[in-house]
Amino acid sequence: MTDALIERKLIEIMRIISESDKPVGARSIADELNNRGYGIGERAVRYHLRILDERGFTKKEGYSGRVITELGEKELRDALIGDRLSFVSTRIEELMYRMNFDPETGEGNVIVNISLVDNNDLEDALEIIKIVTAKSITISPRIQIFDENSDSKIDVPKGKTAIATVCSITIDGILLNQGVPVEPAYGGTLNIKNNEPVNFQDLISYSGTSIDPIKIFMSRKTTSVLDVLDTGTGKILANMRTIPASASEKALDVINRINASEIGGVIRTGESGEYVFGAPVDFGMSGMPVYVGTNVICAIEEAGIDVATYPVSTVLEYSNMSKL
Amino acid sequence: MQKQGNKKDYRVQFTLSKIVNLMSSTTYDPKIGKGDVIANVSIINKHDLNRVLEIFKTAMMSGLTVSPFIKILHEGESIGDLTIEEGKIGLATMCSITIDGILLKRGILVNPKFGGLVQIEEGSPVRFTDVLTYASTSIDPLEALMSQEITSVTQMISTGSGKILANLREVPIAARYDIDHVLSDIMDAGLSGILEVGEPNRKILDVPIERDHLGIVVIGGTNPMAIVREHGIPIETNAMSTVIDITEMSDIKDINL
Repeated sequence: MTDALIERKLIEIMRIISESDKPVGARSIADELNNRGYGIGERAVRYHLRILDERGFTKKEGYSGRVITELGEKELRDALIGDRLSFVSTRIEELMYRMNFDPETGEGNVIVNISLVDNNDLEDALEIIKIVTAKSITISPRIQIFDENSDSKIDVPKGKTAIATVCSITIDGILLNQGVPVEPAYGGTLNIKNNEPVNFQDLISYSGTSIDPIKIFMSRKTTSVLDVLDTGTGKILANMRTIPASASEKALDVINRINASEIGGVIRTGESGEYVFGAPVDFGMSGMPVYVGTNVICAIEEAGIDVATYPVSTVLEYSNMSKL
Repeated sequence: MQKQGNKKDYRVQFTLSKIVNLMSSTTYDPKIGKGDVIANVSIINKHDLNRVLEIFKTAMMSGLTVSPFIKILHEGESIGDLTIEEGKIGLATMCSITIDGILLKRGILVNPKFGGLVQIEEGSPVRFTDVLTYASTSIDPLEALMSQEITSVTQMISTGSGKILANLREVPIAARYDIDHVLSDIMDAGLSGILEVGEPNRKILDVPIERDHLGIVVIGGTNPMAIVREHGIPIETNAMSTVIDITEMSDIKDINL
């Protein structure tokens, strides 16, 4: 086994190569490593690249560029669990920082979830989206569709269509940009009775997991969004963030202003230290549960249509998204 | 909306609190082979029983579980607050948290940390690849991971490489001498699930350990259920359900299929 520090550098180099959409040379890798706090020269990078090539994680492409192999991608997913335990939170923080939606103009980037459906199922899926977004159990009725020929940063496999839905973490990003310190706390399943949210059935914290909590709940197939639409009773997905209790008035003001841009989903704001729907909140903080954007996708799955979903995927310009 | 005290208490119980409660109810003593252990209860369709038992047997004989002990529950029988419905069969097997209960009852301060997936290469554990801490979830981490369809326990049995379910606890190094004794008693009693015992203050399977502690990795009691799932047979697992007297259970090799 190689030394732990070398191992970490190897992984960081693979991350840089994997994040790029074209082959990367040793020079640019060294520059990016320096940006990330790893003081390492071009020569040393070449040495590390040789190790990665030998292990089959990267390969040469073109004159002097490297690309990541399938084995390399797998290694990135599996390695350094100690670093990835807070991966979900750091990823969320990164996207919160990248979004710049302006509540005044209704323009700017929002955080989206990407779901892939088969082209043959698209029509049925859109029909369900129309029905679900009519009821306010999601963040925004606006979506964006990409097919395999779409010229965008979203990679769509052949025969599939990507549907982007607004992710609930957008609310956190907006609050942050307006100066409200916000921390995503839990994802969970929320019991709804007679159209009223009652309590969280299950919760998973964003900080103690290497897999996105919402993704876990989605693949356990525990929701009944369609029942909620039909009868007003069932289970849907929601997540909760905490804000300082002293900022809750300001937060409510921001949330009221974004309603004009068709962004909603906030269920309520708790009192200081009040457990919200059974989810724990520290004294001095307020819990704010929000319906998640993927409730739409859960409904599609409940209808028997196969969907692969990547929550908290990327950012997209909100004004390019539209209501069906 | 819900003010404490004047309405139903809906507070969510996280797995850690469930575990600690069950640990304190464990009375099993490996030296005399008697007492209560913690059980996972799986519910299957009656007509799948033989196939499932076959799988359980293979998994348990390959050491991919905590112990080979099992209790078969038929329609109408109850365990904990669970009653087996018509057309179903319940299978009670030993939960790996039993090990924590035993350590605790011998006076060792044990701190269950998380459940996760361990990558096995040619028979040897390499590293944890995904984990969920007990303090952060109300669903059993191994149950959550099983539903992600990222386990490859079947492949592990046939090729020696794959991803299996396991969990980690930390113990203070001050208790190191006692731990060695208890662990060997546990193994003498036929509980084979100890996968790895770490060095003091050293990472175990890629996971950092708190200062002055060492890590112990135990094979998840739910691996046989993961295989059943990988075979596409419906199975509903209630991990860490209840405690059960070990004398009510039998060794799977004594069960005739």
